[in-house]
Amino acid sequence: MRQGESVLQRRISLVELLDGESFTEVVKGFVELYKVGIKVFDDKGGKLADIKVGNGDFCGYVFSFPEGRRRCTSTVGRVKDGPVALSHGARLPVLESTDAPKAKGVVTVPCFTGLRYIILPILWEGDTLGRVVFGPFFPEDLGDFPPPSLTEVSEGFDAANARKFVEKVRRAPESTIARVLLHFAQLLQTLLFAGQKMFLTSQLHIEATLEQNRELEERNKKLEEMNQKLKDLDRLKSAFLATVSHELRTPLTSIIGYSEMLAEGLAGPLNGEQVDYVRTIMDKGETLLKLISSILDISQIEAGKVRLTFEPMDPFELVNSSVSSLKPQSQKKGVTLEAKLPGRHFQSTGDRDRLRQVITNLLTNAVKFTPKGGTVRVLLTELTHQPDINAQGFRIIVEDSGVGIPADQFDKIFQSFYQVDSSSTREYGGAGIGLAIVKSFVEGHGGVVRVASEMNHGSRFTVILPAIPSAQTSVSITPPVTALQAPADDRF
Amino acid sequence: MGRAVSEGWSDQPRPSKSVTNRWFDGTLFDVQLNHAQRELTVKIVYYGPGLSGKTTNLQMIHQRTQPDVRGRLLTVETHDDRTLFFDLLPVFFNTASGFKVKVKLFTVPGQVIHNATRRIVLQGADAVAFIADSRRSASPENNSYWKNLNENMRENGLDPAHVPIVIQFNKRDLPDTRSDAEIEEARKKGKEPVVGAIAIRGVGVLETLFAVLQSAYRSLDARAGLSKNIQLGEREFLTQVFQNIDTSGTELEKVFPPRVKAP
Repeated sequence: MRQGESVLQRRISLVELLDGESFTEVVKGFVELYKVGIKVFDDKGGKLADIKVGNGDFCGYVFSFPEGRRRCTSTVGRVKDGPVALSHGARLPVLESTDAPKAKGVVTVPCFTGLRYIILPILWEGDTLGRVVFGPFFPEDLGDFPPPSLTEVSEGFDAANARKFVEKVRRAPESTIARVLLHFAQLLQTLLFAGQKMFLTSQLHIEATLEQNRELEERNKKLEEMNQKLKDLDRLKSAFLATVSHELRTPLTSIIGYSEMLAEGLAGPLNGEQVDYVRTIMDKGETLLKLISSILDISQIEAGKVRLTFEPMDPFELVNSSVSSLKPQSQKKGVTLEAKLPGRHFQSTGDRDRLRQVITNLLTNAVKFTPKGGTVRVLLTELTHQPDINAQGFRIIVEDSGVGIPADQFDKIFQSFYQVDSSSTREYGGAGIGLAIVKSFVEGHGGVVRVASEMNHGSRFTVILPAIPSAQTSVSITPPVTALQAPADDRF
Repeated sequence: MGRAVSEGWSDQPRPSKSVTNRWFDGTLFDVQLNHAQRELTVKIVYYGPGLSGKTTNLQMIHQRTQPDVRGRLLTVETHDDRTLFFDLLPVFFNTASGFKVKVKLFTVPGQVIHNATRRIVLQGADAVAFIADSRRSASPENNSYWKNLNENMRENGLDPAHVPIVIQFNKRDLPDTRSDAEIEEARKKGKEPVVGAIAIRGVGVLETLFAVLQSAYRSLDARAGLSKNIQLGEREFLTQVFQNIDTSGTELEKVFPPRVKAP
């Protein structure tokens, strides 16, 4: 799962800590100031900086003799790759007493020409990351120049020439050169610290970003999987409901049909009590059939299979016919059912059967939840501009004086199978899909449903519909429970 | 507070355990023990909620440690002094047998949003110092970061059985701090050593460091056989570190008499 080892876990090299170009600038400045050459190597012998000053002519002259070249190469090799330790000709440097504690690991390596080098290990957190080679310089304490180790390289060696060339090499006491080197060491430590901070933080920034990315990707993947699972479940539920409803309806029709035949005496006369029983079977059968029909409706809505067909219709007729179909029910319960229509007649466009179902569902609910002696009113408004849908339209308002709906349930009542009181001992029956159907059908028309209620005083459902649903003559309606939006197709 | 110290030494090389070279998830554990370079790196991570005092712990250790055995304290913080990535304080020494030992003390950023960085810094930790705020009101924060630590350890393949944790109850001087009895209660809830502290005044800081280094050593010794393989005993390991730290005024003073006062 991890993306490999963090930069914090590994050893950092000198090259990573120092910015090559600006480091060379710093070294150049130092060399120009003190007139002593500086070479910087990492622990593998890789060169980070090499600034020479003054010794070119002299070393070139020595190098022109084969034996001089051999000895020179050997010295340079010693200085660059040999141990930064008191061996192979290296010795402790000559130091001012105050510098001694700071000069840990510093060694002096004499050159066969009489010149000298001082080498400083680059220490970092207890590691040696490389070395700084300072020199060559001409030590003030040097006796005769040129020494025999130089003159013996060739019979043709010209001492006067050598003296002339060596004039350009920095001449100073060894302790002075050592002090300059220690200053450089201090500067280098500061550069290394700044470099380390920069390097580690930038690397860690990248690592943290990658890590965050990985985390997000993982989370996205999980969410996608969950989303897919939910969609599958939802589809499964709709398919199940449709099948079950269909399978229930067929035998139920037979039950009702045969009961009807029995009640009408087709199979021989029944006595009064028997007729009552059979009529009860028929009544309950009808109730069950209605329930199954609405379950089938909602499952088809949820499966996206319902299409609304828009045609000219008469809202007055719509309201009147819905009211008259509910009259028997309200009378039986002792609930007054009133309709109020506007003075001026108007026409609109919509799916008449679906809208009748909307009003019938609302009225059925209103009667169901209103106690005996209460009133249910349905009101049709005039055709005016409706700000809620920003179109010319009308409202159908269904009001009751029933038990009311708690305000925190307003959204939930429109979900399929939701009941405000879902306890097993609840007072009011039903499957909880009437309002889900209402919402789907109204929204399919480009309208909205609003609910207002006060507990124990009643509820008001307002259906706001456009006079003409926008553009199409028919529309597939989407499930009332907001489904998760599928992402738009990729453009590139 | 001094419990961690009074536990004493296990100087004798203990009977070598059979070292299982795998974590519980089957991956190989990587003790940073490099025989070729003769080098051992011990990584200690200071973990805990934001503003619980992780950086303060490191600053106190830095102040009291001889400059020649430690690096500079690397901190990367935001303008309002919150740790942005991590703090790092390296301490190093050579053992009598010539092994180089580097102890790297890290802190993680405490702010919730930096979880990815926390997880990266925690990688390969040998022991963890969990810095908790002792105020009663901070308990939910402590708990949530404790959970976060365990999650990130799991994500990094660190087995809590092999990576010891030491708990520091910091800010003992503040009002609403838990009582000694309550801290004792908290100690009993788990097996982790518990140290009380007022890091800002240096109280309990070195004691915590001692406890976490001791735990780290014991865990590494059990896994990689430090005493057997590189002849580094617990006493030497701890002495090499603490002889270079100014222990004056702390519980450790008797065990590691300060040679030089910190500058």
